[in-house]
Amino acid sequence: MNVLEAKGLTKQFGAEVAVEDVSFRLEENTATALIGPNGAGKTTILSMLTGLLKQSEGTINQSGQGGIGFLPQYPQFFPWLTALEFVEMAAKISGVEAANVRQQSVRTLEFVGLGPAMKKKCGTFSGGMKQRLGLAQAIVHQPKLLLLDEPVSALDPTGRREILNLLKSLQQDTTILYSTHILNDAEEMTDQLLFLQQGKLVEQGSLKEVRDRYSEPRIQIRFETSQEALRFSALNAWQGTVDRTEVILPVTTQGPTMQMVLERLAAEGLAVSGVERKSATLEEIFLKVAGKE
Amino acid sequence: MTQFRVLFQKEWRENVRNYKILWIPLVFILFAILEPVTQYFLPQLLDSLGNLPDGAVIEFPEPSPGEILANIIGQYQFIGLLVLILAYMGAVAGERRSGTATLLYVRPLSYGAYYMSKWVAANLIAVGSVLFGLLAGYYYTALFFGQVEIGSFLQFAGTYCLWIILVVTVILTASAWMPNGGLAAAVSFVLLLFMQLVDGLLGAYWTVSPFKVPSYAAQWLWAGPETGAYWWSVAITVFLIVAIAAFGIWMSKKNAAKVKV
Repeated sequence: MNVLEAKGLTKQFGAEVAVEDVSFRLEENTATALIGPNGAGKTTILSMLTGLLKQSEGTINQSGQGGIGFLPQYPQFFPWLTALEFVEMAAKISGVEAANVRQQSVRTLEFVGLGPAMKKKCGTFSGGMKQRLGLAQAIVHQPKLLLLDEPVSALDPTGRREILNLLKSLQQDTTILYSTHILNDAEEMTDQLLFLQQGKLVEQGSLKEVRDRYSEPRIQIRFETSQEALRFSALNAWQGTVDRTEVILPVTTQGPTMQMVLERLAAEGLAVSGVERKSATLEEIFLKVAGKE
Repeated sequence: MTQFRVLFQKEWRENVRNYKILWIPLVFILFAILEPVTQYFLPQLLDSLGNLPDGAVIEFPEPSPGEILANIIGQYQFIGLLVLILAYMGAVAGERRSGTATLLYVRPLSYGAYYMSKWVAANLIAVGSVLFGLLAGYYYTALFFGQVEIGSFLQFAGTYCLWIILVVTVILTASAWMPNGGLAAAVSFVLLLFMQLVDGLLGAYWTVSPFKVPSYAAQWLWAGPETGAYWWSVAITVFLIVAIAAFGIWMSKKNAAKVKV
């Protein structure tokens, strides 16, 4: 079931086109990564989906109840409010029943790890705590759709890991759309990828589909010496590239297969320290997609 | 109504926790007390400053209690208004610019409740400050110069509070309209202080104007204003408050897209 469907989304600021004809669907309880370099239009798309910005063209259809939760890249809070007061306010404005507000707010703050700090003023919070509080206010009303703008890019590795783990635990009953330019994060928590470049959607699909389209599998062989690498390269017609002690062989439908490579190595009696089948990382795919435009 | 209550609670907490609830009334009380105290001790002050030739005597006609109270709102008309402009110029624009409003605007927010929560909180502080100030001024005036009839004082204070409500409405709407607090302050300054000056210079040609409300308020301390012009000015002021507030609500919603994300 689709939770959200965007068709032909376009946003112009005067003569400048920030987002052009972007269409996608978000299925229930899936995580979608909106990937693109800075200025690609990720925040503009999220702002249109939250209703903060009105699209110049196109439609957004959100189905089902539950509303939207939104976490901006740098969430700002009223510094004089405590975390609990802020989350309670967010819950009430989002329509949580008065009788459940306190319990739901406390539970949410505990879930994001801010239980001990819930009575502290937001103005005293560190960057990581603000991000957790931002997540708490976004999920306190149990939205069906969670929109996150670069949720972890401003955090240190520990903070990033903790927030990613929280998001993964939410994924079971929430549809998540998040923007990022940190491709490792996207690789970790993604059912669908949307590649944005200069406001246009240049590629989309599941991680597997995109990988299959761009991965260009290869076999990497590490030799003991560079002479052996050169010798192996000269002995076969597989058109590999040699990089010091490494030979990289592109894998096509005609081969070579791993078995063929291992047989050839055994036949020649060459000493190897490792043979590995590799496919492109998301970062390599991204660079390829970006280069396509 | 729920949203209004929630947002008003937030506004009230802000006014309490950044001490606006304390320093704004204190400024108004201070200026109200200064007027009768300075007038009363003026001869002694001049005497202590010296430089008068021996035997020189300066005689001041003793001001009436009504004049003292009217002078207090003379102080409020510049310094008081500046205090209110500085306190509330960023009420909407500041939240938008800093991004604190983002997490409100992405919710199913009633912009009417959003604006009115600020309007009620700011007016409670502003009107409360003016009333406390005038009461303090009334006390010291009665102590040093004699008492103004309480009925006249209430009409005076009530009429002046209507003007203060208009002032707060203009400031909040300018804040909702302009991209930042500085421009909101400039617009409020032009609309309130400059227009008052224009009305003061050219206002002899008309008797009905919202800018005449402070002077009509002062006239209650003597014989009372000319009834027709007074009530028309009050009616126009009330209409303007409603119209400007409605414009403020509309601008809050229209400019929500400019919030920092």
